[in-house]
Amino acid sequence: MSTYKLYYFNVRGRGEVARLIFAAADQKYEDIRYEREEWVSHKSEMPLGQMPVLEYNGVKLPQSAAINRFLANQFHLAGKDNFDQAKVDAVVDTINDMISKYRPIRMEQDEAKQKELTKTFLADELPKHLQNLEGLGKLYGSGGSFFVGNNLTWADLYFYDIAQHILELDENIFNSYPWLKENRQQVEKQPKIAEYLKNRPKTSH
Amino acid sequence: MPSYKLTYFNGRGRAEVSRLIFAVAGEKFEDVRYEMDQWPAHKAEMPLGQIPVLEVDGVKLPQSAAIARFLAKQFHLAGKDNFEQAKVDAVVDTIDDSFKGFVPTRFEKDEAKKEELTKKYFGEELPKHLQNLETLGKLYGNGGHFFVGNQLTWADLLFYTFAQAWIGVEADCLNNFSWLKKNRAEVEKQPKIAEYLKNRPQTQF
Repeated sequence: MSTYKLYYFNVRGRGEVARLIFAAADQKYEDIRYEREEWVSHKSEMPLGQMPVLEYNGVKLPQSAAINRFLANQFHLAGKDNFDQAKVDAVVDTINDMISKYRPIRMEQDEAKQKELTKTFLADELPKHLQNLEGLGKLYGSGGSFFVGNNLTWADLYFYDIAQHILELDENIFNSYPWLKENRQQVEKQPKIAEYLKNRPKTSH
Repeated sequence: MPSYKLTYFNGRGRAEVSRLIFAVAGEKFEDVRYEMDQWPAHKAEMPLGQIPVLEVDGVKLPQSAAIARFLAKQFHLAGKDNFEQAKVDAVVDTIDDSFKGFVPTRFEKDEAKKEELTKKYFGEELPKHLQNLETLGKLYGNGGHFFVGNQLTWADLLFYTFAQAWIGVEADCLNNFSWLKKNRAEVEKQPKIAEYLKNRPQTQF
């Protein structure tokens, strides 16, 4: 019986995809959430002094993407063979390219500047990333609503999670991207995920 | 026997890790290299309008990490089981974290600013990441010189090629990191790699 412990802050952030994978797989795990003040005393316990960290049978693994891919592989949510797994990875990397442009904007302290940067992001940067993602979904999705091979994979869960941040900027954004809109709806409809979304803690981000 | 075609610029950059994987595995592939002026005519052929792209039996796969991981798994250079592959992925993600800050220092046009950014990167930022990489190598390397499990994996090849870019700018950047220096020396000694390094095209990047 393998044991899984996930260490992260009490937010969705970089830990939520792992939690979605555990939920989709109906897999038990210890969902450890540190408040900021608690974290200080635990930082040195983690390999890179960062979270999330997955502890699998007592061994610690850092880096959210490595954690997510490992869990997806454990629970058959990674793609049915090596090449499908590569397509899933390509979609994940493309989602990363999109969100890496947004994270610095979120960190901007000056409110006026942040508003300006957000406007530019929405107008100039975001569309090409969403178009790229629709392109990959149509290329690899075998005609279905999931990104790869007509099956739910962690690429769908990752997009679902990241898209929530984008929706906070523009709640209508996906009206212009029907494939992506349908993809998210399909994810939400999965019974185990619907239940998880209903019951999970509500956090600021 | 699948057919492989790798398309990139005529440089090492984000494709070299995959070329190293093919070399170690002794596998044939079509090594398509575009000069800068040839690339615009081919941009529309690629799923995301970017390279590198790997074509496997006619199906295109973008994103350099997805490509490298796929090839590594095909040729048993990814880690011997799911959790070891996760450790390899964690090292790869940490190498990527190290490299992120390097790219802006290369593209900065203002000479004075470039010098300042470069100094800050090599003086403050990179050493932290190199420290993290040594930590992971000692945690996962089973006492050997490779990052994971006492065997060559694509994490070692990726570190090898990205570090070459750093050393090209700051020759002493690994001087305080003897584990990482030994790791690169071990990679260079592998017969198929030594031969590949001797014969590969000498390019600007």
